[in-house]
Amino acid sequence: MRKTIVAGLLIGAFSVLSAGEFDAQANKDLKALKEYMEKKFATRKGAESYFPYTPKEELDKNFKWGLKGDDFRLGSYAYNKNGKEQYDEMNEMPPYEDNIDAGEELYKNTKFKNGKSFKDCFPDPAIKGEYPKFVKGKGVVTLADAINACLKENGEKPWDMAKGKMADLEAFFAHASKEKGKRYHIVINSKEAAAAYEDGKKIYYSQRGYLKLSCANCHVQGAGKRVRNEYLSPLYGQVTHFPVYRLAWEELGTLQRRIKGCEKNQGETTHKLDSKWMRDLIYFLTYMSNGLPVDGPDIRK
Amino acid sequence: MRKLALVTAFCAGLFANNLVDEAAKLDVKKVCDVKANGAAKVLEVAKKFNPEAVKLGVEFTRLGISNRAYIKYTEEAIKAKKKEVVIKYKVKGEEKTKKFPTDFAAWRACVFAIRALAQVKEAEKTWRLAIPGDGFKY
Repeated sequence: MRKTIVAGLLIGAFSVLSAGEFDAQANKDLKALKEYMEKKFATRKGAESYFPYTPKEELDKNFKWGLKGDDFRLGSYAYNKNGKEQYDEMNEMPPYEDNIDAGEELYKNTKFKNGKSFKDCFPDPAIKGEYPKFVKGKGVVTLADAINACLKENGEKPWDMAKGKMADLEAFFAHASKEKGKRYHIVINSKEAAAAYEDGKKIYYSQRGYLKLSCANCHVQGAGKRVRNEYLSPLYGQVTHFPVYRLAWEELGTLQRRIKGCEKNQGETTHKLDSKWMRDLIYFLTYMSNGLPVDGPDIRK
Repeated sequence: MRKLALVTAFCAGLFANNLVDEAAKLDVKKVCDVKANGAAKVLEVAKKFNPEAVKLGVEFTRLGISNRAYIKYTEEAIKAKKKEVVIKYKVKGEEKTKKFPTDFAAWRACVFAIRALAQVKEAEKTWRLAIPGDGFKY
């Protein structure tokens, strides 16, 4: 008996060590990213070194400084004072409330042909912060992938991953997670999962498209810089608020849809929303928000 | 049979890398010069490199028109000896057309095909330079 307990403890310790080993690089990346963002938005003094082309008056008046950890869950509204005012006004009557209700209806009252429902696949709806997951043999599984897998396993047709019912159900899951005070907790617990994370990281940091832009050009080095009248959002905290109601879309949309838009802006042929490319990228992106609160659904311009 | 499949995969891998390496070494201005080489020859260069860009997921698309579309419609125009390429494409499900001079479309297809692959090679050296805690110094 004693031997069994010791063996069990050793196996447990080994698996903890192994998990630590597999996510070591990702944790190092996250720590360095957080440090960079906090330093970039720490104080007005010396801000010119990060924002050489931003007018002095703009740095004086329109930036909020001294940002720490959870502040970044708001994306660019964490540091953009004027934008935050408009955001607060828009959130007085959130346009996504009907989507949360529609999502709740889908979750609680949709019966599949076989009599089962989403509750059978997702007993707890407060799961937004747990996805994507890495599943051996399947690779990265985003929440949208999991929802569509649930539909297919129960003899139903999969949904469009960009908007509509998918965005509504994700909105309900995000809302339920936010209500429970959940935070993002993405896990990398195998060599294959670490490889998928690294693949997503390489996609994020590689310059692409005819404009030769990487995602990082805008959301790491470019975070806080202005493109026309909009401030670019930071990688740290970039996914916390999805799905989002974008004024440009005039409806709610998923993270996959937003990434597709970014690809178009970069000038490259877009990838399928359920492609390995997209799933690995979302795995990396979401890991870079690990520890931050689930803050969706939300509104963005 | 398994060995054959492995050899084929290996050769395919080598060929893929060769195309990226080859594209990275090309002088785009010279190779895609329509005046010097003619539109047909320039388009052949695009046809050689673009499928690899598609395979690697790095094909260029500008304002809804993919490089595949540039190549397809430019080829049709060259065959029909037309001076203008009419490209049909879709934006948000809506059918659209856009006209370009044939020489210009051939040049663009060529440049897009080569640059898409050359960027893959370049990114191998540069992507880490943008990562905080790695190559990015601030």
